[in-house]
Amino acid sequence: MADIAIQGVVKRYGDTTIIDRLELEIRHGEFFTLLGPSGCGKTTLLRMIAGFIIPDEGRLILDKQDITRMPAHKRETGMVFQDYALFPDKTVFDNVAYGLRVRKVPAPQIKQKVERILERVELGHLAQRYPGELSGGQRQRVALARALVIEPRVLLMDEPLSNLDAKLRIQMRDVIRQLQQESNITAIFVTHDQEEALSMSDRIALLRNGKIDQLDTPEGLYSRPRSAYAADFIGAANLLDVQHAQAQGEYSLVTIAGGRVLACGAPMEGGQQLAARPEHISIHREQAADLIPAEVVYRRYLGFKAAYAMRMADGKIVNVDVPAAADPSHPAGTPVFLGFSPNCCLVRA
Amino acid sequence: MMTAIRMRAPSPWLVPALLCLLVLVALVVWPLAALFYQSAIDPQTGQASLQGFQTFFNTPRYVQAFFNTLILGAVSTTGTLLLGAPLAYVVARYDFPGKTVVALLPLATIILPDIVVSQAWLMLLGNNGIARHALEAVGIDLPSFYGWFGMAFVLILNDYTYVYIGMLAALKAIDGTIEEAAVNLGASNLRRALTVTLPVLAPALLINAMIVFTLAVDNFSIPMILGGRVDVLSSLTYTTFLSEMGGNPTMQSVLAVVSVALVGFVLFVQKRVVERKTYQMQQGRAPQAIRARGAAAVALTSCAVLFVAFSMIPAVIVLIGAFTKASGPVMQYGTFTLENMERALRNAPEPILNSLMLASVAAVAGTCFATITSYLIVKKRMLAVSLLDYVVMLPLAISGTVLGIALIHTYNSGMIILTGTWVIMAAAYFVRKVPFSIRSASASLYSIPDSIEEASINLGVPPVASFFKVILPVMKPAILGAAILMWVTSLAEISATIVLYYGGMETMPIQMFRQIDAGYLARASAYGVILMVVIIVPIYLAVRFLKLDLFSSR
Repeated sequence: MADIAIQGVVKRYGDTTIIDRLELEIRHGEFFTLLGPSGCGKTTLLRMIAGFIIPDEGRLILDKQDITRMPAHKRETGMVFQDYALFPDKTVFDNVAYGLRVRKVPAPQIKQKVERILERVELGHLAQRYPGELSGGQRQRVALARALVIEPRVLLMDEPLSNLDAKLRIQMRDVIRQLQQESNITAIFVTHDQEEALSMSDRIALLRNGKIDQLDTPEGLYSRPRSAYAADFIGAANLLDVQHAQAQGEYSLVTIAGGRVLACGAPMEGGQQLAARPEHISIHREQAADLIPAEVVYRRYLGFKAAYAMRMADGKIVNVDVPAAADPSHPAGTPVFLGFSPNCCLVRA
Repeated sequence: MMTAIRMRAPSPWLVPALLCLLVLVALVVWPLAALFYQSAIDPQTGQASLQGFQTFFNTPRYVQAFFNTLILGAVSTTGTLLLGAPLAYVVARYDFPGKTVVALLPLATIILPDIVVSQAWLMLLGNNGIARHALEAVGIDLPSFYGWFGMAFVLILNDYTYVYIGMLAALKAIDGTIEEAAVNLGASNLRRALTVTLPVLAPALLINAMIVFTLAVDNFSIPMILGGRVDVLSSLTYTTFLSEMGGNPTMQSVLAVVSVALVGFVLFVQKRVVERKTYQMQQGRAPQAIRARGAAAVALTSCAVLFVAFSMIPAVIVLIGAFTKASGPVMQYGTFTLENMERALRNAPEPILNSLMLASVAAVAGTCFATITSYLIVKKRMLAVSLLDYVVMLPLAISGTVLGIALIHTYNSGMIILTGTWVIMAAAYFVRKVPFSIRSASASLYSIPDSIEEASINLGVPPVASFFKVILPVMKPAILGAAILMWVTSLAEISATIVLYYGGMETMPIQMFRQIDAGYLARASAYGVILMVVIIVPIYLAVRFLKLDLFSSR
């Protein structure tokens, strides 16, 4: 059952198309992430679902109901804003109770509901504080509680973690994910952080210029990117020019500068590249079949791993990661041979 | 099926925006247009004619008044900058004993209306002034206080605090690290001040110079009370208004147009120059104040005390005057009487009640108007609002006397007749003070993120209701502060009142002006004291109980 359907939605500002005939279905209870760089249209799409932006074309369906032109305040969506948007003159309790009071919930019930949700985000003891007296992580949790307490039809989150420091961000990922699963609510999460997207989502839509580049599970997106854009945005893969590719079952025999390697994916029409993640390349001293000659440019020691930059035959620089335990510590200038694992894949250029 | 045609529902804010625009058109745009029209027609034939402007340029008295206005503006601007800017620099950059008394200066500008200041200095330095006699006794003969000396002296003393407040804000906004960078790159302190600090302050200096220039052109009570035989545009417009009463109003319209053009030109230059010269500055910490020691500390402290004393003297003088016996114009200093106060409070309380009523009406109406207008301007961009944004600052280019004359002629006939009613007086106060309220309300709105309104809508509250439930409470301190300032400055308004009031509707400043004009300085002092008290009490209550910061956005 599709909980949310986005059907042929278009949004333009002047000559710029922000959302370009986008089609998307989100399932009930799913944690769905809209991922992409700034300007890709992810926030616009989220604000459309919330009702702050009206699409120029297309329809938005929520629970089989057309909400394309429904006013924002009637949509029953719970939104967590990037800057939290807490009401500065109201206490934590009053912030969370705001949506319930609007819905004319009786006072004793409001008290009970607000207290319960504040307990769940571990803020029970701060109910009488004002937003200005809270830390960033606490404000974040108030915003989350305020959106969840009204039991919205869908939870919308607009880069909610971007204003937190690195350690807190990782903590809050778990808090959000856990709350979403306990409430069994559909959630749409907007982020530009690939790690956030991978670690939290059931499915991810990678957006590019207002269109979906790839719609996949986190594993699918990481291990089998379909485009150079996806391979580069998620996990920064090396992108190598392909001279020739020949199908071989589910794999292809791919000719790159310096030799031939086996990679997953079928050869495709129109430009293609080989996407090779740094950890999918191994370093050898001796030449053997299917190894590609290269030269060490530099080595960086990063504690748990060593990161090498290698120069290929055509002068292209390739990044290679080696676990610290297996690091042969090759100095710059060492001639080596690179082995490409078949996890490397052919992608649209 | 839904078609691709865009159906944009009209914004719920369109109607309020149009209503606000209508109010301003009725009270500013239309009267001003009528005034311009009147100045350029022949009253006999009704034909277009520049006869009035011809008379203006051919009559030495008018031309002289025009140049006198420019000279007075230039002198006042120079004087206020020379006093206010260094004072601001010293206060921002140095710590010295007794620095806190300087905080009284902004207060002085509000609680001491210019009419009180003029009168007090007249009592000190006028023909029978106490200070004049004291100085004569030690052999110092001052020039006559009526004329250039008195006007420039009081104008500078009255207005330099605006420069001080403006420059202090600018100095505090400077990112201290840019000065540290200059020093780090090898610049000496003097070189740093001249090459880094001064250029960054230049736009603020210019803005404040323009502000005090327009204040000088605008001022009515100082040239009326102290001008003597020196005519300036504001006083001449008023005397022309009196002499043309009942006749044809060509010359007053011409004079009004000339002063609107003058102030309009200055504001235009300010906008162009400042827009081009304003720098984007990173928000940083202002440089730490340096603790002054020894002789420097003594010099700074005595300077500060002197500044504050000079600004506060009028309050003391008026207080003394109010309780001093007088036989006609002759003050008997050293005596004590309650007669003046009793007369003002018991025998003639109407002006007090009139002032309170008018100021309250203007403040309530103006505050509601300013709240909605500033919200529309800051948060809701649409065509009607862009227009509103322009029109709402128009009153700043019009002096009170000009506004009063324009309103009188617009509403003395036709469908709506307001001339000779209190409504027109309250309307004039409203128009004159509302730009300041809008400015401070806007300042508070810029710091409110759009997202809290969206959060409220998202939680189920319709847009207009969301404004009242989440935006208004956050704006409340700024709105209350603006309301109080609007109220107290309306109480002191005289330049529009002087042409708009009618028998039975005198206000406190009018009563003061009449008594000063007739030479009854003791009686005028009594009204002055009451005026000050009525102004101080709400300010004290606001600061004490509402914890309002009244001076941040002025």
